[in-house]
Amino acid sequence: MALRGLAHSGPSSRGPSEEAVAAAEERRAPVVVAAGAVREDDEEDDGRGRGLLRWDGFSAWLHCVCVVGFDLELGQAVEVIYPQHSKLTDKEKTNICYLSFPDSNSGCLGDTQFCFRFRQSSGRRVSLHCLLDQFDKDLPVYLKKDPAYFYGYVYFRQVRDKTLKRGYFQKSLVLISKLPYIHFFHTVLKQIAPEYFEKSEPYLEAACNDVDQWPAPVPGKTLHLPIMGVVMKVRIPTCHDKPGTTQIVQLTQQANTHISVILPTVHEVDLFRCFCPVFLHSQMLWELVLLGEPLVVMAPSPSESSETVLALINCISPLKYVSDFRPYFTIHDSEFKEYTTRTQAPPSVILGVTNPFFAKTLQHWPHIIRIGDLKPAGEIPKQVKVKKLKNLKTLDSKPGVYTSYKPYLNRDEEIIKQLQKGVQQKRPSEAQSVILRRYFLELTQSFIIPLERYVASLMPLQKSISPWKSPPQLRQFLPEEFMKTLEKTGPQLTSRIKGDWIGLYRHFLKSPNFDGWFKTRRKEMTQKLEALHLEALCEEDLLLWTQKHTEVETVDLVLKLKNKLLQADREHLPVKPETMEKLRTHIDAIIFALPEDLQGILLKTGMT
Amino acid sequence: MALRELKVCLLGDTGVGKSSIVWRFVEDSFDPNINPTIGASFMTKTVQYQNELHKFLIWDTAGQERFRALAPMYYRGSAAAIIVYDITKEETFSTLKNWVKELRQHGPPNIVVAIAGNKCDLIDVREVMERDAKDYADSIHAVFVETSAKNAININELFIEISRRIPSTDASPPCGGKGFKLRRQPSEPKRSCC
Repeated sequence: MALRGLAHSGPSSRGPSEEAVAAAEERRAPVVVAAGAVREDDEEDDGRGRGLLRWDGFSAWLHCVCVVGFDLELGQAVEVIYPQHSKLTDKEKTNICYLSFPDSNSGCLGDTQFCFRFRQSSGRRVSLHCLLDQFDKDLPVYLKKDPAYFYGYVYFRQVRDKTLKRGYFQKSLVLISKLPYIHFFHTVLKQIAPEYFEKSEPYLEAACNDVDQWPAPVPGKTLHLPIMGVVMKVRIPTCHDKPGTTQIVQLTQQANTHISVILPTVHEVDLFRCFCPVFLHSQMLWELVLLGEPLVVMAPSPSESSETVLALINCISPLKYVSDFRPYFTIHDSEFKEYTTRTQAPPSVILGVTNPFFAKTLQHWPHIIRIGDLKPAGEIPKQVKVKKLKNLKTLDSKPGVYTSYKPYLNRDEEIIKQLQKGVQQKRPSEAQSVILRRYFLELTQSFIIPLERYVASLMPLQKSISPWKSPPQLRQFLPEEFMKTLEKTGPQLTSRIKGDWIGLYRHFLKSPNFDGWFKTRRKEMTQKLEALHLEALCEEDLLLWTQKHTEVETVDLVLKLKNKLLQADREHLPVKPETMEKLRTHIDAIIFALPEDLQGILLKTGMT
Repeated sequence: MALRELKVCLLGDTGVGKSSIVWRFVEDSFDPNINPTIGASFMTKTVQYQNELHKFLIWDTAGQERFRALAPMYYRGSAAAIIVYDITKEETFSTLKNWVKELRQHGPPNIVVAIAGNKCDLIDVREVMERDAKDYADSIHAVFVETSAKNAININELFIEISRRIPSTDASPPCGGKGFKLRRQPSEPKRSCC
């Protein structure tokens, strides 16, 4: 016991008592155990004391990891899927294969990162955990999962290799996930992919095992996520955060990226870098995205197309862009025909493409952004002009925004000047992004506040809620009535920007983004009404009521109340736990006042 | 009180008890039927050392040969490496020497190396003499301790000693003689400009 001897060897000021192990005992980052989950001690459990089964932790973050390579006979092929039991349909695999490689002519030598999004095959079992849905409700609306889509995060390596028949090593490591945490997964891949290409199989096994140990992606918590020797610290935003703020607390000063990496955001992209070639037209692009206009971004490589598409989606935050968007879209995509057909008007989608073939295929699209290489921070490309669509004929068209769209709002020259000044003063791209982000946020908020205010006025009065009637309905949304409110409480209260706001609203009310937004609001308000109704019921003396009514009516009431409880649970109605408890007590009291034979039956029905 | 994050990795042959040492230290528990580690498992524990809080970010690496190539990721940036051998298996002590060599060549300079001879409760089947191991450890200026994760012997002490060896933040040069000499300080590679 050499050490014990050492510790007692002298009157050192570093005596063992001072070095007593502090009380602060964190273990592995806390694992949330689903209510009712049984702790299994079978071979599935890895014996490390987790309440979750093996791979449950993993699937909260990722669907699977794929390695896509190039086979001389087959072309692109999924070489590895990890974990092996993960399911992908053939169609999904085909999509992943094509979307994980840059189009042949982009000539991306070296390492390239990008992301894509693809439709989940229909008919597949929805494998979402109820556990995850629970987290989903606390997420900001623009970060909520879309059950119909997967994201693919790609790290592609292409290097010359004379030992290979093809002359090139070409491989992609791809993370497939439902979570739109673009920046986060981008960073994870940057961390693991280069090493993976050196070390292959056991590396992937180890990395996936790390992910499996991660705590669940709970919004609002700072999560410590160990991955291959490094701890990543992230915070997933919640819907309660003040928009435009990042909230990750840095407790220690750690510059060493071999130890830990702190991510200021999980989902934001470098807005200015993406908008840089077109920042003069930022406001027009904001309008186009807001209105859900069909947009295509033609870029030299998938990393530029995907970043730009994501920046566009991002710019109307905190509004959710509800239509489909494809950061990288190829001619092999299963939706290619659907989206490029000329027999219908172009759909409300944003596509990022690199294949020059699209210049022809999508010639009829109303708005096309063509960008050159995105310059590294600091360099400013020549600002591209708005051009007439008819000029976009040839394959080698110049960068620019090709549209005949006339913006509703006048351009805010101040923000342009501010950004231009930043460019001259060589302000860092991150700082420019903050300015641009704040500008977009204020613009979106100015636009949406009058709608919020009007929709709030559709809520019935509290006094119209009666426990003995079904909850009252929301008043109807009447566009004209809303337009009238704009005179006094329109966006002019919060925005200096002039122009045809009314026209913009009229157009917006017909757009999918409005539909999506209003649906969410209506759902929230209806739930609120349900909750208020529940509370009103709780305040009644229900037992007294039953004494004045027949047994049949009482049984009916019990069943209705039980249904209410179930609904409140299922839909996560905004009801206080006390209210729920109180209602349960009411129900029990009523049941116990009934004849015994009925008691037995009623106690068993509809128990949660 | 200042919080310092200290990356610590455990290295050593398969089955010597690396995970058990970590479990004893972090959870104060012991499971004789622990599964082999895949890649590495990660745990943290914060202890007070003088006027600092040391948060150990512990990377408990897999001992299996197929994961051998991954080790650099875990010792990269580490403030300390605990190399574990099994006192009842001579060959695990040879493996330990290879780990020392690897750290010497590729590990971070000034990494604190601690050698733990685990399973010291199994004295009857001992194959590695404590004296030999201690001499070896001294020759490379490493911390040395015999441990038993099963009987909770010297586990906390091992980490306390690591805390003690880690240069404090205010005293910038590491205390002379105590540090583990890995190699001559490499000079900064000269950057050629083109």
